[in-house]
Amino acid sequence: MAFDTFMFILMSGILLGGLYALMATGLAVVWTTLGVFNFAHGAFVTLGAYVAWQVTQPVAGGFGFMIAVLMSVTVMFCLGFVLHFALIKPFERNQNVVLLAVISTLAAASIIENGVLLTWGPRDKQITPPIGSRINFFGASINAFDFVILAVALLALFALALFLRRTTMGRTLRAAAQNREAAELMGLDVPRLFAITLGISAATAALAGIFVGSLRFINPSFGADPLMKSLIVVILGGVARFTSPIYAAFVVGIAESFSAYFLGLYWSPALLFAMMIAVLLIKPEGLFGHRSKTL
Amino acid sequence: MTAALLELRGLTGGYPPVSVFRDVNLTIKPGEHVGFFGPNGHGKTTLLKTIAGVLDPWDGGIYFEGNRLNAEGAMQARVSHNLNYDLFRKRRIKARDVVDAGLIYVMQGNLLFPEMTVEEVLDIAPRAARGRPGVGQMRRQIHDLFPRLRERWQSKVRYLSGGERQMVSIAVGLLAMPRLLMLDEPTLGLSPKLRIELSQAVQNIRETGVPLIIVDQNVEFLTSLVDRLILFDHGTVTREIPAENMPDHAQLMEMMFGGAH
Amino acid sequence: MKYAPPFQRTNGLLPVLVVFAALILLPLVITETYARHTLILVFIYAVLASNWDLSLGYGGIVNFAHLGFFAIGLYAYAILAKVIGLDPWVSLLITPLFAVTFAVLLAIPILRLEGIYVILVTIAATQLLQQIVVSQSSYTGGTSGMVLLPRLEIAGYKLSSDNRLGYYYFGLALLTASTFFLYKLERSSIGRAIKALRDNKYYAISRGVSEARTRLVTLSLSAIFPALAGGFYGAYLRVASPDVFGLGFLTIALSVLLLGGVATIWGSLIAAFVVVGLSQLLVDYGAWRNIAIALVIISVVVVYPGGLYAAMQEIWSGFDRAKTNLIATFRRKSGAPARARAMGTTDQLVETSHGAVSVCDTHSGAQTIIFIHGNSSCKEVFRHQLEALRDQFRCVAFDLPGHGVSPNADPDKDYNLAAYAQIVAELVERLKLGRPIIFGWSLGGYVALEYVAAGNPITALAICGTSPVRTYPDDMPKGYIPSPHMELAGKRFHSPHEKGQYATHTIGLQKDAEPILWQAVWRTDGHAREQAFAKLKTTDWQRQISVIQSKDVPFVMINGPNDPFINHTYCARSEFGTPFSAHPILIEGAGHAPFLEDPKPFTQEFLRFIRAAQSLPVE
Repeated sequence: MAFDTFMFILMSGILLGGLYALMATGLAVVWTTLGVFNFAHGAFVTLGAYVAWQVTQPVAGGFGFMIAVLMSVTVMFCLGFVLHFALIKPFERNQNVVLLAVISTLAAASIIENGVLLTWGPRDKQITPPIGSRINFFGASINAFDFVILAVALLALFALALFLRRTTMGRTLRAAAQNREAAELMGLDVPRLFAITLGISAATAALAGIFVGSLRFINPSFGADPLMKSLIVVILGGVARFTSPIYAAFVVGIAESFSAYFLGLYWSPALLFAMMIAVLLIKPEGLFGHRSKTL
Repeated sequence: MTAALLELRGLTGGYPPVSVFRDVNLTIKPGEHVGFFGPNGHGKTTLLKTIAGVLDPWDGGIYFEGNRLNAEGAMQARVSHNLNYDLFRKRRIKARDVVDAGLIYVMQGNLLFPEMTVEEVLDIAPRAARGRPGVGQMRRQIHDLFPRLRERWQSKVRYLSGGERQMVSIAVGLLAMPRLLMLDEPTLGLSPKLRIELSQAVQNIRETGVPLIIVDQNVEFLTSLVDRLILFDHGTVTREIPAENMPDHAQLMEMMFGGAH
Repeated sequence: MKYAPPFQRTNGLLPVLVVFAALILLPLVITETYARHTLILVFIYAVLASNWDLSLGYGGIVNFAHLGFFAIGLYAYAILAKVIGLDPWVSLLITPLFAVTFAVLLAIPILRLEGIYVILVTIAATQLLQQIVVSQSSYTGGTSGMVLLPRLEIAGYKLSSDNRLGYYYFGLALLTASTFFLYKLERSSIGRAIKALRDNKYYAISRGVSEARTRLVTLSLSAIFPALAGGFYGAYLRVASPDVFGLGFLTIALSVLLLGGVATIWGSLIAAFVVVGLSQLLVDYGAWRNIAIALVIISVVVVYPGGLYAAMQEIWSGFDRAKTNLIATFRRKSGAPARARAMGTTDQLVETSHGAVSVCDTHSGAQTIIFIHGNSSCKEVFRHQLEALRDQFRCVAFDLPGHGVSPNADPDKDYNLAAYAQIVAELVERLKLGRPIIFGWSLGGYVALEYVAAGNPITALAICGTSPVRTYPDDMPKGYIPSPHMELAGKRFHSPHEKGQYATHTIGLQKDAEPILWQAVWRTDGHAREQAFAKLKTTDWQRQISVIQSKDVPFVMINGPNDPFINHTYCARSEFGTPFSAHPILIEGAGHAPFLEDPKPFTQEFLRFIRAAQSLPVE
């Protein structure tokens, strides 16, 4: 195999990894904080992309890409914030909260997906990327925008980590995640903090959705794939540290682009699912961690 | 209105359908330090958790400085056993309101936030209580009260010993600038050496003038710190003992269980 | 000991027979193809959801494996019948083989995992299946699926002829077989192991239930019928497409399960009619239909997690309460002469803070005796004592709330020992009964003990057919002989057979001998039984034991040696002995109700105890 092909596959793997990291971190943050898996995460990705697409359309004023990103992220943050009170808060004291949340978020995913279908129709759409030029990278010709995406994704994750570690607000979020009762006794408004967490998660999903939407076509059900990939990433990496799903995201991204090249497009998802089941069998806490959930 | 700091009127509560404490009446005057003593499993912690707003009281009133903290009236009975009452029934007391009023509860054997450092925990504590005046001074005071914590400033809570965790818990409580501090079994599982250290710290807190409610199984620890001892048995207050005839361990056992033990 | 009567002796028999007969006759009425098509889909979804419930509801293992089983059934049928060319019937019947193999393979990773991880593995496994199906397009038709699958025929008769009559009956047969299988399985030792692991895993394991084996068996057994349903789905629609892996199929199957209520077989069956019927009605609305179904799921989970089956139970129980109350109101008037004849005096209603109670009072006499009857009984059980003792004592007997001719009361507040004791205290105050002698039978024995434990003054206390309990529930199996009766005592709904059993065992007599008592079992509010039993755990039992051991309370136990419920060795323990009798007084030849079965010797013994107690100086 030629070196430039290798570099091309590697780079597209790393780019995929960056996108997966963005999606999976959103999922992992909700899991570690609220203690539930959000199956509407894929729908958040879809909706975020559609909102951004709508903003760039002439009918809505034809705003630029940056405005679209900001609008979409803000809208999705608010939606995530509100959905916490509808989907998870009603049974937070129920001992079956994990099961109930799976069901309610699945149902929410169905509502969002069908809502998108009703609003925007089944046709494929694409968000026009702001940069179209290509650059030569070690012999491989790669979109300049891909680098921007990778940089922005990593920057967003870095900013999120900084927010959680260094700001008082972020620290209260972590406190609520680690010991709910103690946080309540401290006087923290835990439901609001949880809602903010779901909002942040939805905002990162929207960002990922916009990036995916400017690389590929979007349609109402395209969130299913990101959701499955995020699941695989979170399971593979574990959630012991903020960084564990990020490492796993790059592993999955690179593995996927190489297996797509060598094994074919159809077999690479099967390989990933098999990898995930194998990890769950051998090391359920994930490749990069111990058996604890932290934020 | 009397000048009561905390007043419980006919307070009843528990984990439905089991009522744990019934008809508890209690008045704590400003500047008073009160000890709770009673067998395990008889409702002391449940009572404190109810006052702190973690559990909903069933009936009765909790008054702090004359203000009622819980909703009026008795808790409504369930009509249907299948409806999700968490959705329809509002909480009858909110932990936040209790903290805002200045009534601070320090949990028993608190694990706190295992993955956060001592510094981070103490950083968010005053914010949680919406920064009352005097926090800066209290921060300095905490360094003097718990010199041990200074050595562990950057350690995660999960790596602290039981006594150190207890100290962090109490420090978190103090940073909320309490008007009444409730300590639930602070000496639980501590070594004698640590117990002495903690006892000294509580003594110092007492001298700063913060009224205390202390629940503990250690009679000597308790009697050395409080002005009044309340015996709690079978979910209700059975006797109050003023400071002047504070009993020792043997006498207390005699009082509670009546006879050889 | 678990009480599990055979199906024909439960309340479920009649409704099930009626519905089954209706379903058999329904094609005579409904001849239209589309309606029959809907019903066939209902049967298929009902089979899938109710078998899914075996692992999800009964086993408490939340998983999505059954969609995989269904898809395997579908594709196994499609490939065997179309690609390999096997006989369609043979193909259909061997589909479970593949699904069970998949279940076993899937069970291996699941054995070690808990909660969310099980959900994730099963989702991943079904996704893996989907990827395999999509990638092997030469066998499975890929994303577009397979069409024109072989149809089912019996001796040349196509099941699809006569407006799909054959498919209708085959679907019904499949549902019936699946339901029968699940019903039997749930009540077998495997079914109990499955539920035990869900309810208290570590306790079950410590009692020798193997978690790994049970999970394996649960998954494998619950794979059989979904696979058959999947194969049938393929044979019926003649299409196998990857849609069965999709969100749409999942939401309908899941909503059938949830709307019906988890851990009930019948719930899924009822919900299948509602959900599938609804979704077929709304089929023209496309996306709106899916939104509506999702909203139904969310609202059920958020507002009423019990689902349809729980709602039906609740409606039925409201109906039952209204019925028993009506019976009581009716009998209060119409049965008055018969009761007056039995008791020698008329009864009147007395209001208390726990509802009105019907009281029989002989009025004359300085010393009062209060009689408290037991669970699902009534005051007339003491009529021999009233007759024999009314000359010397003022005798008072009353119907507990929800019993006899007292009206029903609030289940949450009024049906428990503390409330019953409070009623006695209020009667004493209202009717000016002074320091009474209390006699309590069975549940009434606990009421009597509770009355004294609450600090009310008495002259003497006797209990009958009651084992003192120090710690609940540990002492219950020591104090009582385990029998189905204990389960009946706390059961809300009794079938007619169970009512008869209960009456015969408690009063030791047949129907015609004691019509009033026999009726009392029928009249009792089911909630009174259930709540009084459920709230035993809220009683302060230690306090009751201190009453027995107190030197100030003249106390005695009077039992029948043939009492089938109480453990006589336990009751004869020295710690329950009193100065009046070191052991319980035994009335020769009597059972649970000696005062009714052998009134003469009982009254003699009771009188002797009262005389001895009265001769003591009062404090």
